[in-house]
Amino acid sequence: MKQIFLVLLLFAIQQATIAQKADPCNHVLKGTILDIDTKAALPYAVVKVKGTKHITQTDINGRFQIKNLCDEVNTLIISCFGYCDTTCQQFHKNIQRPKIYLKQQVKTLNTVTITAGKDKEQGTASISQQTITKEALTNIPTQTLASAISEVEGVTFTSTGNNVQLPVIHGLYGNRVLTLNNGLKHGFQNWGTDHAPEIDVATAHSITVVKGAAGVRFGPEALGGAIVVEADPLYLNEPLKSRIGTGYQTNGQGYFANYEIGQGLKNWSYHLGANYTRIGDLQTPDYSLTNTGKEEISVNGGLRYHLTNWDFKVYYSYVNQDLALLRSSIANSGTSFVRAINADEPVIIQPFSYDINEPSQLTQHHLGRVEINWRYADDAKLTLRVGSQINQREEYDVRRNADIPIIDLDLVTNDYQLEWKHPDWSGLDGLVGLQVFTQNNDNNPGTQTTPFIPNYNTLRFSGFIIESLKKGKNTFELGLRIDQESNNVRGREVNQNLFRDEYSFTNLTASLGYIRQISESTTFRTNLATAWRTPNMAELFSFGQHGFKTSFGLLRYYANDEGQLRTDRVIALRESNVSPEKGYKWINEWQTQTKTNTYTFTAYANYIENFIYDRPLAVIGTIRGPMPVFIYDQANALFMGADWTWEKRWSQSLTGTFGVSYLWSANIDKNEALINQPPITTSYKLLWKTKGFWKVQSSQFSIKPSYTFKQFQAPRTVRPDELIDGSVVITPDSEIFDFRDAPEGFFLLDIAWRFKVKQFGASFSVQNVFNTRYRNYLNDMRYFADEPGRNFLFTINYMFNAKSATK
Amino acid sequence: MKTVDYFKKYSIYALLLVGVLFIGCTKDDDDPAPENELEVITDVKLIFTNTNDANDVVTARAQDPDGPGVQELAILDTINLGVGKTYTLTYEIFNNLETPGENIGDEIKDEDDEHQFFFSFSNNAFANPTGNGNIDTASDPINYNDNDGTNPVGLSTTWTTSTTQLTNGTFTVRLQHQPGVKTATSGATDGDTDFNLPFVLNIR
Repeated sequence: MKQIFLVLLLFAIQQATIAQKADPCNHVLKGTILDIDTKAALPYAVVKVKGTKHITQTDINGRFQIKNLCDEVNTLIISCFGYCDTTCQQFHKNIQRPKIYLKQQVKTLNTVTITAGKDKEQGTASISQQTITKEALTNIPTQTLASAISEVEGVTFTSTGNNVQLPVIHGLYGNRVLTLNNGLKHGFQNWGTDHAPEIDVATAHSITVVKGAAGVRFGPEALGGAIVVEADPLYLNEPLKSRIGTGYQTNGQGYFANYEIGQGLKNWSYHLGANYTRIGDLQTPDYSLTNTGKEEISVNGGLRYHLTNWDFKVYYSYVNQDLALLRSSIANSGTSFVRAINADEPVIIQPFSYDINEPSQLTQHHLGRVEINWRYADDAKLTLRVGSQINQREEYDVRRNADIPIIDLDLVTNDYQLEWKHPDWSGLDGLVGLQVFTQNNDNNPGTQTTPFIPNYNTLRFSGFIIESLKKGKNTFELGLRIDQESNNVRGREVNQNLFRDEYSFTNLTASLGYIRQISESTTFRTNLATAWRTPNMAELFSFGQHGFKTSFGLLRYYANDEGQLRTDRVIALRESNVSPEKGYKWINEWQTQTKTNTYTFTAYANYIENFIYDRPLAVIGTIRGPMPVFIYDQANALFMGADWTWEKRWSQSLTGTFGVSYLWSANIDKNEALINQPPITTSYKLLWKTKGFWKVQSSQFSIKPSYTFKQFQAPRTVRPDELIDGSVVITPDSEIFDFRDAPEGFFLLDIAWRFKVKQFGASFSVQNVFNTRYRNYLNDMRYFADEPGRNFLFTINYMFNAKSATK
Repeated sequence: MKTVDYFKKYSIYALLLVGVLFIGCTKDDDDPAPENELEVITDVKLIFTNTNDANDVVTARAQDPDGPGVQELAILDTINLGVGKTYTLTYEIFNNLETPGENIGDEIKDEDDEHQFFFSFSNNAFANPTGNGNIDTASDPINYNDNDGTNPVGLSTTWTTSTTQLTNGTFTVRLQHQPGVKTATSGATDGDTDFNLPFVLNIR
């Protein structure tokens, strides 16, 4: 029995018809079958009338007609290759030719599926993007969001250890990449590389990476791109499905368990899921990475109620993370920093443990969302989305009062979004939206240190319009957005004097896109977009020690009359020369799909005015000894690069995917390198699907060698001891430098085998097969320790009631 | 169809209500509470008092005026001791970012089982203790005058200078914070450094 994931899209006509009293078998049904996303007619779709022998096919225009029906109300079963089967109940005879929309079947290949045909968010269709499906995500349930999507070409991750990983899209990360968590901007303490979004990938249904400036659609922080995380879509008419899974990984002796249950009824649908993960200290080939474990609990649930024209969805998720950071990264004195940075092995190595000690981050994230869709016409829809998020973060550091959090913040985020997908306006297909976004950050008292981040309130009003026009083989896309953001900030100086600041910005962003179907097999898409972003609170106001760094925000330092750097007062934003970031990204994608080959080439240029970055400034003498100091700085920066993927189907069962990413970036004011930019990466993934054997119904084997080059664009190296003994003198105008050389390139090999036996699914994978010793340039911990060594990962899951929805 | 109509009506009101409720939320603009910084030291004064003459006092100061800020640590004085004399070394340790200044020395005394002073100096600058101090090797001799009950602290130490003159020598004082780490054998690299001050030492 073919397993079909049934997607039900019911746009049946509900208008009452007057019963005709005549020959009972003279009813006629007419309709048009269209693709839900492209609105293209679907020819040769099979239309059956349930319970009768009537069957027909749509014509070239997607139309069909069935005569001599005995019942006035009928159920249609429509199937079309590549699309989900759709059942239309209560299909009435109608005066007009009703339109029926089919949704493309999400391919359930057991790999990262590049679903080129997946519905793209409106306003981003001309931007290169890729989606990762649940199947691929469940492969490695213990990984972070960032590492899950780093399989996408042009996407890497930057990290502070193995628990805090942030996605990097074309060289940009942090608050230049917006994480859209179920339609809401994930509201968390998003500073630099120190914090990762609190999202449990095991609960995501799909993750889409948008590689261009998607600010018009998603808001100011999508300057570098967006990551769209979607929960279970809550399909209707789905049989009861529940799955339990567990697994074990050798590195860190990690284990996890998850459970999910979901069902779609005629009008109702629900989904519930829970996940628990625990990992202890990870291990490099040579030593244990003391204090690198994590513990994570997540729960999520969704409920949907569907009426003919109305659709209601409620969603809630909760994530609780306790993340340890490498103990050796904290040098509480300058001398030990120098020792730690020059050591081949971390200074502190202890036997394996699950304990999470300082430094660590404890976060809880609640997300609640209500979405109401009113489809008041066939091609028009009104959506209201209201969301509320509470993010509580406590960070513990190695210090005198280690049991008291050094950072203790509550961040409340509220979103109100009203979107109107308007009806066809002489060929224009579009979306108009109004958004209100508020954020309220509060320091909880009792940290016994000057708050690293001030208290603040942000209020933003936004309006956007996105229109697309399809003319033959051309599609044009235009977007405009206006944002008005105001901020109110209250913080403490080091002498505990209060400082306040109030500032607001208004900005217009625009996006222009074009898609051309050059031939049957080749598509070209190009997108030019502007984007802007206000400097975030950490970039402006951070002060003091956080992790191994002592950082000063843009408003926290100034040069006095003698040109010496001072940090004794806070500058008001309007008196400073700090400006918001403005980005201009031009991204082009060519895609050619032949019978066995798919080539995708993406090239881009991104110019960012007032690009904000933090860089090592000096090693400053303090009472405790010399300490490394980082400052935030602004410069105009240019990023250019290309991603290329080549997918080849060698045979029915063997597919290979080659990928390479290249990025060039520079500070063009000073004509010098930027720091922490992704190096060139390349990989080849071979996927072999075997036929069933013995009791195994299906199995697939994958092998993925990859090579990451040394970052040859890294800044020069100035060692901390050279700064301490004064042989190198650094001023704020000196050329950028780093404390350590960029690590050497490295080769990794990953293999995985997945198989299915009846209702059981299992996988076995090995990461870093050769136990390679390496450091990753994009990991802040590269100063102190190697990356984890070989890891064996086993997973097993069992599907209850795995009855397929058959029609 | 009636239920649908009802639902439509109801939903619109619900939408409006939800919108108004949320947007109507009042802005809270609390200030962060002032925090009592426990870790900051801005001023350290070394006080050498001649054991035979209470009026013969040599002081040397180190200052980091902005605490965690970027301003460099300044060693303000050199230590000028007399030849062949015996001194008791004590301290004044303050956080002067607060007004009035906070006496950190008292806190160290309260937490003496978590603290220890370590020293390094030019070899044989002193007749007693001999050698170059205990920063490199914790068991090297230092004349501690106090203890936490079991182990030395160093808020008071005794020094007898060498009979030969010394010019431009070094004298480094390091205070280690060693909660749960301090033992009879713990050294200058155990725990975290509260201060580490390299002074110039002259004996003449």
